[in-house]
Amino acid sequence: MSTAPEPVAGARTGLAGLLVMPATLFVAIGLLGPIAILFRYSLNQFIPGQFMVDGLTIENYVKFFTDAYYLNVLARTVKVAVICTVACLIMGFPLAYVLARTQSRFKNLLIISVVLPLFVGNAVRAAGWMTAFGSRGALNASLMGLGVIDQPLEIMYTENAVLIGIIAVNLPFMVLTLQSVIEGIPRNVEEAAFSLGAGPAAMFRRVLWPLALPGILAGTILTFILAMNAYATPVLLGGPKFQMMGPLVYGQFAQQNNWPFGGAISFILMTATIVLTVAAHLIVQRRYR
Amino acid sequence: MSASSRLSLGRLALNGAAGLALLYILLPLVFVTWLAFFRQEIPSFPPEGYSVKWFTAAANNQPFINGFLLSLQVGVAATLLGLLVGVPASLALVRHRIVLGPLFNTLLLLPLVMPGIVLGTAIYVFQIETEIATGLPVMGSQGGLIGAHTLVVIPWVVRLVTASLVGFDRTIEEAAQNLGAGPFTTFRRVTLPSIRPGIVAAGLFGFVTSFGNLEMSLFLVGPGRTTLPIAILQYLEWKIDPTVAAASLIQIVLIAVAMIVTDRYVKLSRVV
Repeated sequence: MSTAPEPVAGARTGLAGLLVMPATLFVAIGLLGPIAILFRYSLNQFIPGQFMVDGLTIENYVKFFTDAYYLNVLARTVKVAVICTVACLIMGFPLAYVLARTQSRFKNLLIISVVLPLFVGNAVRAAGWMTAFGSRGALNASLMGLGVIDQPLEIMYTENAVLIGIIAVNLPFMVLTLQSVIEGIPRNVEEAAFSLGAGPAAMFRRVLWPLALPGILAGTILTFILAMNAYATPVLLGGPKFQMMGPLVYGQFAQQNNWPFGGAISFILMTATIVLTVAAHLIVQRRYR
Repeated sequence: MSASSRLSLGRLALNGAAGLALLYILLPLVFVTWLAFFRQEIPSFPPEGYSVKWFTAAANNQPFINGFLLSLQVGVAATLLGLLVGVPASLALVRHRIVLGPLFNTLLLLPLVMPGIVLGTAIYVFQIETEIATGLPVMGSQGGLIGAHTLVVIPWVVRLVTASLVGFDRTIEEAAQNLGAGPFTTFRRVTLPSIRPGIVAAGLFGFVTSFGNLEMSLFLVGPGRTTLPIAILQYLEWKIDPTVAAASLIQIVLIAVAMIVTDRYVKLSRVV
């Protein structure tokens, strides 16, 4: 006796629902639940000595947006994130294009060299820059050896060190996002533009850029979010004086034990994330319906 | 200058810019590797000589060993759990028109784009509330850490298994069933072997993601119980020397091997 062949999709949606539920419930409870509680915490009060007191107040948010210190940290974080994102786009596009169009047999090896640093972790990569930037590090030693400078440059614990570190951390994300989009653009359209007399610059501006725009937006959003939320790089390369939002949140939780305020800062970060993502999705959808 | 030589000049500039960007991405790893072989302890250039003694030092450093073991245990457990719930979900999402299917799909991928700091704080307060509600010691526990890591493994599983299912020819399954195979046999003998590369890739990517996780874990580790990335971070906050570079290099090599193995099953250029 044989079982009848399975009818087309639809008949077994009950089973399908059963298959999809464990993972969905896990993520819903493990992700949305915590975020709801975090929001609730951010409305509580913090009284020094008494720890957290249940309440329903927006004073944590008011405190953040009225204190010049915190606003400065936010402004500095946004500034760093914008610079890093623009730099990633400018540096990432040529590499993404070459990776997307190459016929080389080493293509997979090239992709692995872009992905590997992603998985190695931010602390290890920061260690690499620490080796290079110290007063007797590789960079200063080579510059002084070449006679370009007499005194070692102060790079560690400056904004420049943090910028260099975060750009290196985020560049692979930008490259991979752009590469996958450029691979979806047929080479014919580029050749058509050339054969119609466009130079490389005109081809890029009139053909490649508009067609790659969804990827450019996706990559830009991703790197911006990551830069806004950077933790290990500013801590290790910026030092204690160079505050950004990520370390600020951690300090409120781990050192100050001020959960309500830490929750509020974390929520401000996440809201920025969601608003940006949704806005960019809407823009892309409107242009490419 | 002729048009063709101008074009090849442009190509040269393009390749040059691409090469510089790749070098920039890899440079920190190059420096870490270099430092790991220094003879002297202070990271001053040029090195006074070379030595492999720091690998012994790293292998005898208790925080690194404990961190490595904890990361390994958490990574394996989270990967297995992630596969257990993620593979069936991906199958269902690709194969069946589920009500709210796209929404579920988005939800399952959400932990990937959620910033680590936000995830960490949110799960931290969730664990506080769970501990208050149930009385179980959740905070700083290994189980709590595994649960959180499972959350960041699931998106990779869904993404990679879904990708490997998209090119799958369903008529093969129908043929198996015509020949008398039941649904379970069909799955075990036909479907599973053809999505195995996707599952292997998902397992390795999930594991590597969990193993390298820093920001989220920072909030969830207990006193005296840290993962390897956090042990490295804490060491670096104190000082940089060849010992920590050697520990980092071991990690880099392990991850590189994992990726090259994965690449044999699923071309990385297709999935990342």
